[in-house]
Amino acid sequence: MNIRKPRWLRVSLHTILILGSIIMAYPLIFGAAASLITQADFIRSPWFPTSTAATLLNYRTLFFSADKFPLWVFNTLVRIVWFVVLPATVAVLCGYVFGRLRFRGREAAFMFLLGSMLVPGIVYQVPLFVMLARWPLAGGNNLLGQGGSGFINRWPALLIPGIVNVYYIFLLRQTFTTIPADYEEAARLDGANTFQILTRVYLPMLVPVLMVLVIFQSVNLWNDYLWPLITVSANSSVWPIGLGLQRIMAGSVPVRGMQGFNQPFIFTVATVATLPTVLLFLFFQRYFVEGVQGFGVKG
Amino acid sequence: MKTRSAPSVTSPIKLATPNRWARTRYRHRHAIEAWIILIPILIYYIIFAVIPVIANVAISFTRWNGINAAPVWVGLQNYARYLQPPYPLILLNTAFFAVTILLVQTVLAFFIALLLNEKLFGRGAYRALWYIPTLTSAAIMAQLVTVFIAPYGGVVNNILQSLGRPPVIFTISGSWMRTVIIVFSIWRGVGGPVVLFLAALQSINPEVQEAAMVDGAGGWARIRTITLPLLRPMLVFVLVTGIIGAFQIFEAVQLISKGGPFNQTNVMLTQIYNDAFVNANFGVATAGATIMGLILLVSSYTVLRSMREEEG
Repeated sequence: MNIRKPRWLRVSLHTILILGSIIMAYPLIFGAAASLITQADFIRSPWFPTSTAATLLNYRTLFFSADKFPLWVFNTLVRIVWFVVLPATVAVLCGYVFGRLRFRGREAAFMFLLGSMLVPGIVYQVPLFVMLARWPLAGGNNLLGQGGSGFINRWPALLIPGIVNVYYIFLLRQTFTTIPADYEEAARLDGANTFQILTRVYLPMLVPVLMVLVIFQSVNLWNDYLWPLITVSANSSVWPIGLGLQRIMAGSVPVRGMQGFNQPFIFTVATVATLPTVLLFLFFQRYFVEGVQGFGVKG
Repeated sequence: MKTRSAPSVTSPIKLATPNRWARTRYRHRHAIEAWIILIPILIYYIIFAVIPVIANVAISFTRWNGINAAPVWVGLQNYARYLQPPYPLILLNTAFFAVTILLVQTVLAFFIALLLNEKLFGRGAYRALWYIPTLTSAAIMAQLVTVFIAPYGGVVNNILQSLGRPPVIFTISGSWMRTVIIVFSIWRGVGGPVVLFLAALQSINPEVQEAAMVDGAGGWARIRTITLPLLRPMLVFVLVTGIIGAFQIFEAVQLISKGGPFNQTNVMLTQIYNDAFVNANFGVATAGATIMGLILLVSSYTVLRSMREEEG
C-alpha cells in the first residue's frame, strides 16, 4: 500500500515487533553471553550474564578437553557429505524422470513415492531399528540375522536409511517442470546422451534448488538427535554432534577438568551447537525461504 | 520436431515410413530410461519405507522383545493396552499439546506475518529473528531449558531469588511443565509458518487491498474478506504440516519433563520410545506407532475436508 501510515501506528507496530523479537532471541543471546563468563559471575548476574572480564575458558575446555568433540564434528561432516551427494543424485534423477519423461505408470510411481510423506517418522523408526539389528551376516549375525547386534551402534545404521528423500524428489520434479524443453532438445540434436544432458545441461540450472537441499540437509544433520539416539547411543565414537553435545550438557559424558556445577559451560556447549546453523542461515537466507516455501507455494 | 509430429496426425500413409518407427523408439526411450533409473530407487524405497510400515503393523499384533526368540501372536492385546492406564492419559496429553501448540502457533504466526507484511524499517531482520529458533536443535535447546528451570541455581529461580521471592520447583508441577513444553514448542515452531504466511501475503496483489480500502473497508474487514480467503491454501498447508509436527513432539518431553510428574506430560512419541528401547516391548511400541499414524491420517484428512467444505 502506498498510503503512509500514521506515526502512532508505525511506532506501536515497531514496539510489538521489537518486544516479540526480544522474547524470541532472549534465550539464545542469554546463552551466548553466559558462555563468556565464569560460574561466579553467572551467579552474580541473574537477569543477564555480565562480567567485567570476558573469558574464552569455557570454549577452550570444550574444544580441547572433551575428548571426542573433534570426532563428532568429523562424523557429522561425513554424514552431511553422504546425505547431500546421494539424496541429491536420487532427487535429480527422479526429478528428471517425473518432470521430463512421459511413460506409462509415471503418475502411479510418483504417488507411490509421495505416499510415505503421509506416514509419521515413528512408524518407520521402530521396525527400521529391528531391521538393522537383525541384518543378516552383519555385526556377528548369522544368515538368519540372529546372534549379534547387526548394524546397531555401527556406522551403517547412520548411513543406510534416508537416501531416497521424497521431499527433495518432489522439489526437483517441480523445478524440472519449470525448465523449458528447448535446452534438452537442442542438446539432443547435437548428439548428447541423457547422462550428458543431465550433467551438462540441467545440473547448472539446478544449482539454486540444490543449494536448498545442501543447506536443509546440513541443518537437519547437524541437529539430528532421535535416530542416532535410537541406533548408536552405546557407541560414542560414531555419534553425530547433536547427540554428543546434548550428552555433555546432560552431564553424562565426562569432560576433563570439569567438575561440579558449571552453568556457563553448559551454555557454551549450547552456543557451539547452535551457532553454525544460525550463521549458515544468515549467509544463505534466500535459500531457506525458498526451501520453506518449496511446498507451500509451488505445490 | 515438425517432421516428426505433423505427418502422423495428418496422413496415415506416412505412418508406415521410418518416421513412425523413430517415434515409437523415441517413446520407448522415455519408458526404458525411466525404469532403469526408477527400479533401483523403488527397490530401496520398498525395503526402507514400505516394508517397515507393513512390519510395524505386523509386529503390533505380537509380543516380542525385538532381540531374540520369535514374536508371539497376541491379536489385539497390544491395542487393548491403550485402554488401560496410563495410556489413555498419554493419548489425551498428546492431543492436548498438539491442539494447543497448533492453534496458538498458527494464530501467532498469522499476526506476526501481517505485521511483517507492512513496509516497516528492518523487516528482514525481524523475519530472520523469528525464524532462527527453528534452526536450533530441539534436543540441545530442551536440555538448555532444564538449566533455566532447575530448582536450585536455575536461571529463573536466580531471578526470583534476586527479587526476594521463594524458588519454584517447576518439575513437580504438571501445569508448569505443560506450560514450559508448550511455550518451548511454539518458540521453536512459529518461525516456519511466519515465513510461509508472509510469502502468501506478499503474493496478494496490493491493488485488491487498495480497491477495498477505496470502497471503505476497514482493517478488520479487509483481513476477513480479502486476506483470509486468499490465504486459505497456505493456511491448509500450515495446518496439515503443523498437525504432523505438533503430534510428534519428543525432545521437549523426553529431556525437560521426562513425561512427569506422574505421566501428566507424557506423550505418544516418548512412550513409544520407552516401550521399544527401554522396556523392550516392541509389540506395544509398534501398536502405539500404528495408532499415531491413524490419528495423523484422520486429522489431516479432517482439516483438508473441513477447509474444502467451507470453500464450497
